[in-house]
Amino acid sequence: MFKVLIRRLVLSIPVLLMVITITFTLGYFGPGDPLLFQYGEQPPPDMQALERARHAYGLDRPFHEQFFSYVAGLFTGNLGRSLVVQQKRPVTEMMQKGLQVSAQLGLAALVLMVIVGIPLGIIAAYNQNSWLDYLIVSSSALLPTIPQFVMAPILLIIFVLNLGWIKTSFGWDGTVFSQKAILPLFILVIGPLLTVVRQTRIGMVETLTQDYIRTARAKGLSETRILVRHALKPSMVAVSTSLGFIAAGLLTGALFVESIFAIPGFGSLIYNGLRSSDYPLILGTTMVSVIILMVTNFIVDLSYAWLDPRVRTE
Amino acid sequence: MAQSSIGLQTGLALGRMEQRSLWRDAMRRLVRNRMALFGLTVAIILVITAVFGPMLTPYDFTATDLTITSQPPSFQHWLGTDPVGRDFLSRIMMGARTALLVAILTTFFSNTIGIVLGGLAAFRGGWVDISVMRLAEVFMAFPSLLLAAFVNASMKRPTAQIFGNLSQTTGMKWVADTTVIDMLVVFGALSIAAWPWAARLIRGQILSLREELYVTAAQAVGTTDWGILRRHLIPNALGPMIVRITIGFGGAMLAESSLSFLGIGVQPPAASWGKMINDALTGWRSYPHLVIVPGMVLAIVVFAFNMLGDGLNDALNPRSRGR
Repeated sequence: MFKVLIRRLVLSIPVLLMVITITFTLGYFGPGDPLLFQYGEQPPPDMQALERARHAYGLDRPFHEQFFSYVAGLFTGNLGRSLVVQQKRPVTEMMQKGLQVSAQLGLAALVLMVIVGIPLGIIAAYNQNSWLDYLIVSSSALLPTIPQFVMAPILLIIFVLNLGWIKTSFGWDGTVFSQKAILPLFILVIGPLLTVVRQTRIGMVETLTQDYIRTARAKGLSETRILVRHALKPSMVAVSTSLGFIAAGLLTGALFVESIFAIPGFGSLIYNGLRSSDYPLILGTTMVSVIILMVTNFIVDLSYAWLDPRVRTE
Repeated sequence: MAQSSIGLQTGLALGRMEQRSLWRDAMRRLVRNRMALFGLTVAIILVITAVFGPMLTPYDFTATDLTITSQPPSFQHWLGTDPVGRDFLSRIMMGARTALLVAILTTFFSNTIGIVLGGLAAFRGGWVDISVMRLAEVFMAFPSLLLAAFVNASMKRPTAQIFGNLSQTTGMKWVADTTVIDMLVVFGALSIAAWPWAARLIRGQILSLREELYVTAAQAVGTTDWGILRRHLIPNALGPMIVRITIGFGGAMLAESSLSFLGIGVQPPAASWGKMINDALTGWRSYPHLVIVPGMVLAIVVFAFNMLGDGLNDALNPRSRGR
C-alpha cells in the first residue's frame, strides 16, 4: 500500500510538469503582448517606454528563457507580478490573501458536509423507500442541477428583496461567522453536500446488507453501536470516491459565488484574472487549483487505506 | 384446420416478438417514464426554437429602442425589455440557438476525439495506451471549467487574428464575425476540457466488453473481429454512450452559459443566457425578472437533459435499474 502511494506521488510529478508547460505556453502565445494589451485598441504613446517596460518585466527574452525562469520561480514561490489588478502586486501574495478567505469558506463547507450530509444520508438509508428517503434523494437530484449563478440571484431576490431576512449580503467581514456569509456558504455547499448525502446513502444501503452486520445484530448489539462500530466506516468509501469531484466543485463554485457576492477570495482572483487577461494571475491560480485537486486525490487514496483494511494489505 | 390456425397464431405471435427489438423496447420504457418524457419535450421545444429562431421571435433580437428600456412584462413584450430596450423574449429564444449550437459542436468534437483516442488506446494497448491515458490524465488534472475558461481566455485573440487574416485573403466576411469567433473559441475550449472523460469512458467500455463471455463465444464459433465489433461491441457500448452524451449535452449548454457569465464567452449582440444573467445582475433589485427568466430557462433545460439521460439509462440498460 505504502509503495502504491509513493508511486502515485512520483507519477504526479510529470503530470504537474505537463500542466505547467501547457499553461505557460498558452499564456505566452495566447493573449499576445501583455503590456500592449493594457493600452487596449489605441496605439501605445511611447514605443521606447514600452520597450523599457518589456525589458523590466523580462518579456523581451526568448520563450525558453522565460519558461525556465518561471519554473525556477515556482520553487522559490515567485510567480511574477500581476499586470493589471491591485498595483502590480506579487501573485503569490495576492493568492495567500485570497486563500485565507476561501479556505474559511471551504472549511465551513466541509464541516457542514460532515455534520449535515452524512447524518442525512444515514437517515435516508435507514428509512429506505420511505417518503423521507424519496424527499432526500429527489432533492439531491434536483438542486445540484441549478447553476450557482442562477441560484444566487434567485435567493437574493427571495431572502433580501422579498422577505428582508438578510440585510447586507455583499462583501466579507473577515470571518465566516457573519450574516454576509450565509447565502454564499449555502450556495457553495448545497451541491457538494447533496453529493455527500447521496453517496452516504448508497454506501450505507450496501453495507447494511453485509453478513457481518447481520452477525452484529444476532449478537444483540444495539443499532447505534452497529452503526458507529461496524457500518459507518465501510460506507464512507463511496463518499471518499467523490471527494475529488467535491473539491473541483468547491473550486469552480468559489469562482462564481465569490465574484457574485464580492468576496475577496481565491475565486475572485480567478475571475479578475480571466476578465482582465492578467496572465501571471491566471497562471498562478490555475496552477494552485491543479495542486489542490492533486492533493485531494492523494487524500482520497490515503482514505481508502484507512477505511478499507483490504486495501492496506495489497 | 384447427391445427393450421394454431400454427398461424404462433407464427403471428413469433413475428410480433421478433419486432420487439432492443430499440423498440427501449422506446417503450422511455415513453412510460414521466420525467424522461418531460426532458424529451423540453429538448424538442428547444430544438424547434433554435432551428426556426428568427422566424418565431416576435421582434428582431438585436433591435434596440431606448424609449422602452427595462420594461416589465406586458402584452407587447411578454417578458419585458432589457436595459437597451431589446425584446427579452426574442433574446431568450435566440439564446437557445447559441446554447444548442455550442453544445452540438462540443458534444460532437469531444466525443469524436474521445472515441478515436480511447478506441486506439484500448485496441492497440502498450505504449499507445499509456501515452493516450497519460495525456488524458494531464487534462483531467485541471478543474474542467477552469481549463475551458483558461483556454478560452487565451485563444480568443489568436483565433480572432487568424480568422481576420483568413477573411481578408478569401474575402469571406462572415469568418471574421465576432459571434462566429466567440462560438468557435467557446466550443473549442469546451471540447479540449471534455475529450479526456469521453476517451476514458470509451476505453473502459471496450476493455470490459472484450472480456464478456458472449464475445469469447463469438470468437469460438469463428466470427471475424469486424463481425464481433459490429454485432456485439458497438451495440452494447452504444447504450452507455448515448446516456453519457445526453447528460454531457446538458452539461455543455451549462458550460457555455458559465463561460459567457464570466464574460469570456459569447458577447452581445449575440444572445447567451449566461451573459444575460450577468448583465442583469447589477440591476437585480430593480429588475428581478431580467435575472430570473434566463436563470430559470437555463436551469430547466439542464435539468431536462439530466432527466432525459436518466430515462435513457433506465431504458437502454434495464439491468442498472433500481440501483
